[in-house]
Amino acid sequence: MKSSLFHDIRLVFRKEMKSALRFRAAWAAMLMFALTTLACVSLAVQGGGLSPRLLAALYWTVLFFAFMAGIDRVFEAEDSAGTLLALRVYAPADAVLFGKLLYTWLLLLVLAVPLTLAFLLLMDVTVVTPLVLFLLVLLGCWGMAAAGTLVAALGLGASVRGSLAPILLMPLMLPVFLPAIFVTSGAFGAEAASLSFLFGMGLYDAVLTVGASVLFPHLWYAD
Amino acid sequence: MNRKKILGVFLAVLTLAVLCAVFFLVPPAEGLDYYVRIAFFHIPMAWVSVLAFLLSAWWGARYLRSRDMRFDRLSARSARLGLIFVLLATASGAVFSKLTWGAYWNWDPRQTTIFVLLLIYGAYLTLRAALGEARLRARASAVYALFSFLTVPFLVFILPRLYFSLHPSPVINGSGSIDMDTSMLLTLLASLADGTLLYAFLMAGGSGRDIRKEESA
Amino acid sequence: MEEIVFQDVSQSFQGRTIFAHRSDVVKGGCITAVCGANGSGKSTFLRLCAHLLLPTEGSVSVSLGGEELSREILLRRLSLVTPELRLYPRLTARENLDFFLGLRGITLREADYEALLARVGLRPEALRDTWAASFSTGMCQRLKLACLLASEADFWLLDEPGANLDAEGAAMVLREARQAANAGRLVLLATNDPREEAAADEVISIP
Repeated sequence: MKSSLFHDIRLVFRKEMKSALRFRAAWAAMLMFALTTLACVSLAVQGGGLSPRLLAALYWTVLFFAFMAGIDRVFEAEDSAGTLLALRVYAPADAVLFGKLLYTWLLLLVLAVPLTLAFLLLMDVTVVTPLVLFLLVLLGCWGMAAAGTLVAALGLGASVRGSLAPILLMPLMLPVFLPAIFVTSGAFGAEAASLSFLFGMGLYDAVLTVGASVLFPHLWYAD
Repeated sequence: MNRKKILGVFLAVLTLAVLCAVFFLVPPAEGLDYYVRIAFFHIPMAWVSVLAFLLSAWWGARYLRSRDMRFDRLSARSARLGLIFVLLATASGAVFSKLTWGAYWNWDPRQTTIFVLLLIYGAYLTLRAALGEARLRARASAVYALFSFLTVPFLVFILPRLYFSLHPSPVINGSGSIDMDTSMLLTLLASLADGTLLYAFLMAGGSGRDIRKEESA
Repeated sequence: MEEIVFQDVSQSFQGRTIFAHRSDVVKGGCITAVCGANGSGKSTFLRLCAHLLLPTEGSVSVSLGGEELSREILLRRLSLVTPELRLYPRLTARENLDFFLGLRGITLREADYEALLARVGLRPEALRDTWAASFSTGMCQRLKLACLLASEADFWLLDEPGANLDAEGAAMVLREARQAANAGRLVLLATNDPREEAAADEVISIP
């Protein structure tokens, strides 16, 4: 009996969801990390009347930090539970990549909601174009999920793995963050930026995704 | 061995010729005066750092296809050389920027691009350093080099639109017409060739040493 | 007919040679045991068979019906039970089975599920709603075997399958292995256990 790729991806995704819901510490840590960072920032600049550009930069920095706090876990959890071998035998590489990618994207989006609300409240920001911000978050989180899943796989098979993910991800994320910050500053009230940046981000996300799906099998099937 | 010596001699002669041209032949550029001379160092350095990265990624791809460790060695060597070149390019660019516009760093598109390249080199070499097992290291580095390569075209196109550029308007501008004195152009091309040959020479020179080092690891 | 051919294979890891210049053939339709002292490379041999590891030198080719299988295709046609294989700790037995078997396109109805557990000596009521993290090693081993049995694989690779099992469990393993071999599957056992070695039709020794 054969099973399709969509079916397999769905299985991996559901497995990730189930495991995550039963182990709240995983994502709770990410959320707490982000909120703590945000609180510190807000405290430090209290009443400061920051420019939209600076606020946009801070917003994406906080999101990035939250992501960094959790990205290693994508495969590390499998590694420490010892389930990598079973997954390698039963699941095709594409199913693993996309299943984990979709789960990570959803996780980031779910975290982005309280984070964004907290940010808007604490920093006293008015959002001029909420739809644009929403789209930016969707695209930005996808980029982080795609790049992050691949980067997390780079360490598969290493006996000692330090937390290199943030260093490795930084250059990869710039084509996502720079336009995101620019357009977000427009959403926060500065001079509106061209929406072609959204298209650029979407294109880059697509390139990252295709690149990850081509390169991931080389990492997954260790030799 | 003989070919390397010939390359070395040719390289020395060309470098000497370029230096002479830069100091005696090229007239001061409009608005930049004699500071333009730094450009003849900076531009080749920047060019080679991009080339080194390109080749590092290319050899990484060759490794993934063939699993031949030779390609991994080439990839690593190119990255190490590229790091030196990118550091020199960044430094010379900063000096040029300070002399001509008063600030070492202003995040204009070209400076940002060179900085991103520096980050990528740093990340790649850190990754290599962190992975001890040879085959794993080769695989992971190759994948990272290729993956990070994807950012380059995007940065090249996005950045100029995001920031006001303090970089002098390109002497070879969009329409392709060449906006500089012929002697400057020739000297520039010669210096680019010089830089490329230097890279080739350094790549060829080290491979023997590399093999001995990695086999004893 | 399944076949695994080792041609002049040498395997070393970080300077240590595990084995050198081995040429072996493992055929389907019978039970083959791979024996050797601890650390001799039995598990490595199994991984090479599964294409989970590429040989340092030489080649390992796996074929089914005369056609050589690539790694991706082979993995879909094999099942593995080794001590390193772990189940998801925060999923129940049923969820683990549904996940792994689902990836093979196999769905178990409740009746099939219960029959499968009975076959490996597990009681469904004891496992209901319990996370795999709280299983004993013996229960985990039986569940891994259940997964193997239900996976409809042509290649069975077992590393010390009788470990952590009582006498009845060990006998169950050999019984199932014999049944599978008779049905034409390729059954490879890496083992130190003399009973398992005795039950095999062919023995490969790794010095």
